[in-house]
Amino acid sequence: MFDVLPPFVIYLIGALILPFIKAGNLRSAYSLLIPLIGAWIIWNAPIGEHAQMAFFGFDLELMRVDKLSRIFGLVFSLAAFIGLIYAWHLRDWVQQTSALLYAGSAIGAVFVGDMISLFFFWEGTAIASVFLIWARGTEGAYHTGMRYLIIQIGSGVILIAGVAMHYHASGSIAFDKMTLPMSISSIGDIALWLIFLSFGIKCAFPLLHNWLQDAYPAATVTGTVFLSAFTTKLAVYALARTFPGTELLIYIGAIMTLFPIFYAVIENDLRRVLAYSLNNQLGFMVVGIGVGTELALNGTAAHAFAHILYKALLFMSVGAVLFRTGTAKGSELGGLYKTMPLTMIFCVIGAASISAFPLFSGFVAKSLILSAASHEHYYVVWGILLFASAGVFHHSGIKIPYFAFFAHDSGKRPKEAPMHMLIAMGLASFVCIYVGVFPKPLYDLLPYPVDYEAYTTTHVITQLQLLFASALAFTVLMRTKIYPPELKSVNLDFDVTYRKWLPSLIGYLAIVVSAIFHGVTGFINSSAVKIIKALHHSHGPDGSRAASWPTGAMVLNIALLLGFALLVIYVS
Amino acid sequence: MANHKDDPQSYPALGRWLMFVDNPRNVDRICYALYGLCAFLVVLDFFYYKKVYTTVEKIPGFYAIYGFVMCALLVICAKAMRKVLMRDETYYAPYDVESEEFPEHDLDRESHDV
Repeated sequence: MFDVLPPFVIYLIGALILPFIKAGNLRSAYSLLIPLIGAWIIWNAPIGEHAQMAFFGFDLELMRVDKLSRIFGLVFSLAAFIGLIYAWHLRDWVQQTSALLYAGSAIGAVFVGDMISLFFFWEGTAIASVFLIWARGTEGAYHTGMRYLIIQIGSGVILIAGVAMHYHASGSIAFDKMTLPMSISSIGDIALWLIFLSFGIKCAFPLLHNWLQDAYPAATVTGTVFLSAFTTKLAVYALARTFPGTELLIYIGAIMTLFPIFYAVIENDLRRVLAYSLNNQLGFMVVGIGVGTELALNGTAAHAFAHILYKALLFMSVGAVLFRTGTAKGSELGGLYKTMPLTMIFCVIGAASISAFPLFSGFVAKSLILSAASHEHYYVVWGILLFASAGVFHHSGIKIPYFAFFAHDSGKRPKEAPMHMLIAMGLASFVCIYVGVFPKPLYDLLPYPVDYEAYTTTHVITQLQLLFASALAFTVLMRTKIYPPELKSVNLDFDVTYRKWLPSLIGYLAIVVSAIFHGVTGFINSSAVKIIKALHHSHGPDGSRAASWPTGAMVLNIALLLGFALLVIYVS
Repeated sequence: MANHKDDPQSYPALGRWLMFVDNPRNVDRICYALYGLCAFLVVLDFFYYKKVYTTVEKIPGFYAIYGFVMCALLVICAKAMRKVLMRDETYYAPYDVESEEFPEHDLDRESHDV
């Protein structure tokens, strides 16, 4: 039935066996084998469709290999491998199992060829990943996990509703290129918008983004590393697969690159700063999908590849700081370079990569997207992306390493990160630099042939100008004390609407409704009391109606009645 | 985890070597180097053929000016946003992790000289 075994099967079987391995190191070593086997399968699978399955009259495709799915499959495998090395010390089988199931679902989703299978894996990523948040084991993490789960499952429900309507309208469940209609005139149009919305939620589109900044800093030290890799990049893959060249995405992406950097500047929790910058980086990829040319889509795939690794590296380095000091807040850190110099160096490598310094991975990937935007004459968008590039250096490139490892000395003298964490960070750093220095192997993996030279004189010098001027701005603002200090705080984002305002609005509405209800019932009660009292007054034991009447009164009444009847008969 | 006997000799060699950044005079030197580097990069713009796609890019030092101005604006706007958006850490408590201590079971706090 299957020419090639879909790699998710390996992850599924691997996750089922894992809890039965009791010895800690053995279990960690075993978990590392699974992404290796998965990557080996992906690497060797020829282009084509390899695993069809019948399901309630539908033909499902579980292993569609093309260049787009292959690059995402490979980088997901690499991220899972590095994340599992980083999590070597874990003795919590729940987290290890859910990490495997999460990676397996994401990889499964990348290789499916139909929307029904996609739905299963889409929900799989949601359910598996929430345990990485709950594993923190606090009340706050429980509530955060619930919010995350509701939104993620909601995305899946919207997806399956869209798929059902799309099937009804077109008879197709293919997970392939679609055209988003700009006006809604039929059920098929609604279906496409629902599918788009579902992808948009997972991709953290503006106003749909809050689950990301809410959940990622709430996960465990190791959990965040896994979370950062899969969900959002799966959504990027799904958008690249279905809606390339949708102009709307250019503007959505541009907004996504822009607003998170403002929050990143004032945010105190460094893992949340990274979550905002993750959101900003997704914006670049979404712009690439929107531009939709071969150069742009190559840019999106290359940037997703580079981004997964440097973002994981940054989350790992901040995670190592958290692991050793118990906090990831800028206001409580500083001066850690003295005793955690290796972690600091890895953090700086991640920072240089995300900032797109020449010789680091971000440089060879992000420039494809900027060039594509400029070649297609989206100059305003290009200007925004340029600003966002300078901004990302500002808050991720400088702020993260500076406030964690330098700045004011916090007096904390933690031990260097444990060896397995250093190995994981070292491996990610190696790939970041290798890809930056030798981009060709990455370019060969991209969906379309690459005719692009990243290292031109113009490009290198202009990029260095942008970055060093950004550093200059930071230095000047820091030395003039204009730069906002790190403060213990939360900053209101759009989620305040559903976390505070909506519940308070419902609270106020409840007060109004209950006041009206009490008014009405009070009025009815008091009216009833009045009627009863009036009746009691007239018909009660002492009422006038209750007084005894003489028998003659009845005779008189009957005589009057009979007389009236006689009169009626006579007249008629 | 403040250390009672904070002895630089016990730091890793790399950390000890990097301690020159704690000297304010060296910080000044690094800053001057940065200023010099920025000026040098702008001057470089006059000495090579700049292959560009937009008119604004032709302005010498455009990327440097744009980077500096936009980043300064970014920080100033963000600082202004704080006035409107900043709340206490306990704002969402207890439904949020922000005001909680990170649970010890997921940590391995250790001092460097243990």
